[in-house]
Amino acid sequence: MDRLDKIRNFCIIAHIDHGKSTLADRLIELAGFVSKRNMQAQLLDSMELEREKGITIKLTPTQLLYKYNNEDYILNLIDTPGHVDFTYEVSRSLAACEGALLLVDASQGVEAQTLANAYLAIDNNLEIIPIINKIDLPSARPDEIKQEIEEVIGIEAEDAPCISAKNGINIESVLEAIVNKIPAPKGNSEEKLKCLIFDSHYDNFKGAICLIRVFDGSVKVGDKILMMQTGSVYEVTEVGIFLPSTKAVDVLKAGDVGYIAASIKNISEIKVGDTITNAEKPAEKPLDGYKQVQSVVFCGIFPVDGAKYNELKDALEKLKLNDASLQYSPEVSQALGFGFRCGFLGLLHLEIITERIEREFDLDIITTSPSVSYNVYKTNGEMIEVSNPANLPPTVEITKIEEPIVKVSVFTPPEYVGAVMELCQEKRGVYKDLQYLDKKRVELKYILPLGEIIYDFFDSLKSRTKGYASFDYEISGFLESDLVKVDMLLNGEKCDALSLIVHREKAYNRGRMVAEKLKKIIPRQMFEVPIQACIGNKVIARETISAMRKDVLAKCYGGDISRKRKLLEKQKEGKKKMRKIGSVEIPSEAFMSILKLDEE
Amino acid sequence: MKELSIYIHIPFCEQKCIYCAFVSYCVNNEIKNKYFQNLKKEIQERKTDREISSIYIGGGTPSCVDAKYIKEILEEVYANYNLKKDIEITIECNPNSVDEEKLKVYKNIGINRISFGVQSLDNDTLKKLGRLHNKDQVVCAINNAKKVGFKNISVDLLLGLENQNIQDFEKQLQELIALDITHISAYMLEVEEGTKLFSMVENKEINLPIPEKTIEIYEKTVNFLKKNGFFRYEISNFSKIGYESKHNINYWKCNEYLGFGVAAYSYFEGYRFSNSINFNEYENKENLLYEKIDNRERIEELIMLGLRCKFGFDFNEIIKLGYDIFLNDNFKKYLDKNILIKEGNWIYLNPDYYGVSNSIICDILP
Repeated sequence: MDRLDKIRNFCIIAHIDHGKSTLADRLIELAGFVSKRNMQAQLLDSMELEREKGITIKLTPTQLLYKYNNEDYILNLIDTPGHVDFTYEVSRSLAACEGALLLVDASQGVEAQTLANAYLAIDNNLEIIPIINKIDLPSARPDEIKQEIEEVIGIEAEDAPCISAKNGINIESVLEAIVNKIPAPKGNSEEKLKCLIFDSHYDNFKGAICLIRVFDGSVKVGDKILMMQTGSVYEVTEVGIFLPSTKAVDVLKAGDVGYIAASIKNISEIKVGDTITNAEKPAEKPLDGYKQVQSVVFCGIFPVDGAKYNELKDALEKLKLNDASLQYSPEVSQALGFGFRCGFLGLLHLEIITERIEREFDLDIITTSPSVSYNVYKTNGEMIEVSNPANLPPTVEITKIEEPIVKVSVFTPPEYVGAVMELCQEKRGVYKDLQYLDKKRVELKYILPLGEIIYDFFDSLKSRTKGYASFDYEISGFLESDLVKVDMLLNGEKCDALSLIVHREKAYNRGRMVAEKLKKIIPRQMFEVPIQACIGNKVIARETISAMRKDVLAKCYGGDISRKRKLLEKQKEGKKKMRKIGSVEIPSEAFMSILKLDEE
Repeated sequence: MKELSIYIHIPFCEQKCIYCAFVSYCVNNEIKNKYFQNLKKEIQERKTDREISSIYIGGGTPSCVDAKYIKEILEEVYANYNLKKDIEITIECNPNSVDEEKLKVYKNIGINRISFGVQSLDNDTLKKLGRLHNKDQVVCAINNAKKVGFKNISVDLLLGLENQNIQDFEKQLQELIALDITHISAYMLEVEEGTKLFSMVENKEINLPIPEKTIEIYEKTVNFLKKNGFFRYEISNFSKIGYESKHNINYWKCNEYLGFGVAAYSYFEGYRFSNSINFNEYENKENLLYEKIDNRERIEELIMLGLRCKFGFDFNEIIKLGYDIFLNDNFKKYLDKNILIKEGNWIYLNPDYYGVSNSIICDILP
């Protein structure tokens, strides 16, 4: 038991921009194994996208060594992605810990994600240590914020350390709190092996590796392990810890956080939330909380330059190595040529993947409007899943269509209840429940079609509640619905990549908005171009792009010649990124923009 | 023999016009003296045996300096270069800075074409643009030029000015044509960053018409001039038959030119390069910008410049440079739709589409 007393497993949870990454950096500086310079290179690499999106995508866990009262403590910091798309992954990371640092900005106070994350941590029975950050700011009001934490979240905050992660103030007190307040892990190394997989990585040498927390038993090289959900058996080739670079060790025991390599070729074989046990002496039952992760949002991804199909394929393969939740299969579009139909955990996941393709692989891509997967029952008795609107069979062949629905719970301050209800109604929501959690917080429950959630729900919710509301959803099956396909015609030609499946009542409105948006985004062509939105053969909305506006006829002598040639070369580059539907040139953004109709 | 032109830049003005983005300065005589010394040196140093088919003295305002400078400069050229018999020698003049005397000097030193910066005949507009002349001075200057024997007189006019309308503009054209000019350049006013005009537009101190409206006036102007015997041979240039500017056509046919003076551009033996815009750097030959024009760029320029002109471009030349333009789908489409027109070896742009020429050019570039 002595060994376990010296281990603390914890994570940091926070609202966007409250300083999570900075605090992690400081802790590593103070107690980590890496030099400051190496650490920066390592942490900053993955930061660009994260900073922009205000989220952590995936950070390697890190072991810290902290001397307190002349005793050495091992502190395992496990990072969590902080977005609704990854709620399940977050919950598994939390399940690997005994405690969480709840980081709150001293001037901003408790915000939506603070709540959502704090409740997730409470659900996982974690000890929560509130920490007030950015106390060096002139607008800091730590005492009020402490009170707010107590009132709104309902946890003790009086002794919360007040720090500045940025300027390194009081970081020591955080380390002390971790040791003093977070319980040591429980478990027995002599019991049958039970490890929780909370993440997976791909390593070029070791293959796919499992990031694990050992709850009971121990695991070492040569052991035969069993993945209890998938039933696969592997032989362990290496076990180790993160410093945060990998370091092999002899054995991992109850309470430890580390990794297992077992010649696993494909990351898809590793399921986050699965339990690893010893194949020869298996545990009776797996750890709770496992879920099969499924794609819920789909879209087409195409290379802007058709010749780069293979490069896109490589990029997806490489991303898939480290991201088991990414799904893809080849697809052909009349408008966009060869590409892939891809499945994601949610819209943010989609955005991250598409941005990574562009940044890390330097590929220009076109993404089509996101869709959910529908169950389509055909007159011949067959049921097909349709995640690409272009593949919806003709109306006469369909008996009914079912759409995925989700249970949504929204946390909001009471003053926005009206606004949230209004939004849910607009999104075809069915009201289920309303509960005052305390004076400052209401929980609303709705059943909503997933298709409405992926279409602008998150942004609308944030803007209508000044960012205070947070929401979470879980898939709860399929429901029959009156859905139709809206096709977009440009200059009389159907553009398959712009088709949408929507509820009949919304079809007219949506068709009109898409037509308007396309009018704005498609540059004027040499000739007038009609845009039509149609259900079957019926035109439900129409817009016209007038012929091209004329340029000022600039003069062109001596030195103007190079300047003008370069301008034209640039203009031509821009045109290359356009797609041609018949004779109409469409910029790549048009395909994605359909989704952002409500912005204006 | 390939054509070669000379451009000489005179970067001096009495006052800067609000829309001007050219390199020009208002300076004292000492600087002018020194500048002309350096200019003469450059003319000597860059001597070539090739025959010169045109000389263009531009600015700035070449007419604002003492005529003796112009004389010295031209004499320097004559002393160092071989001229074609039918050489065209143009000087840009402001109507207020030339009198009969000055024009006589110009005539006597071999200049045979005058380009007057008229811009408008509306006195209020001229004032607002920062021009120092008025309508009467324009009439007087053109008459003086004719009196001393100039047969080839061009005027520059601006399109897209505040409150401009086609009726007034046609009236101005009529008055100018009556003075027996031979050439008109009608440029659309461009609002360039860094000019006074730019900030005036930003601050809404001036209300310029939208391009659409200006193009309308432009198109009417084209018809009006045609009826009066002035034919468009380039997007912005009109002349009586036989009075097209040789010098400018040289630019648009991608022929070579030597530019002397600050900020002057040359295109010679495969390179385009420019002198510094700074007097000291120019004197010390510092900060020269070089750009190699390879086949691809040459193709682009032949197309881009050719399509601005009535004559278009020679597709054989393009093909010889390595671009089989007939394999370009857009090109075929434009030919089918009569947007581009083929005549013999030449391709030219249907003038109805000058307003969207940029887009068409982009579509057919390699």
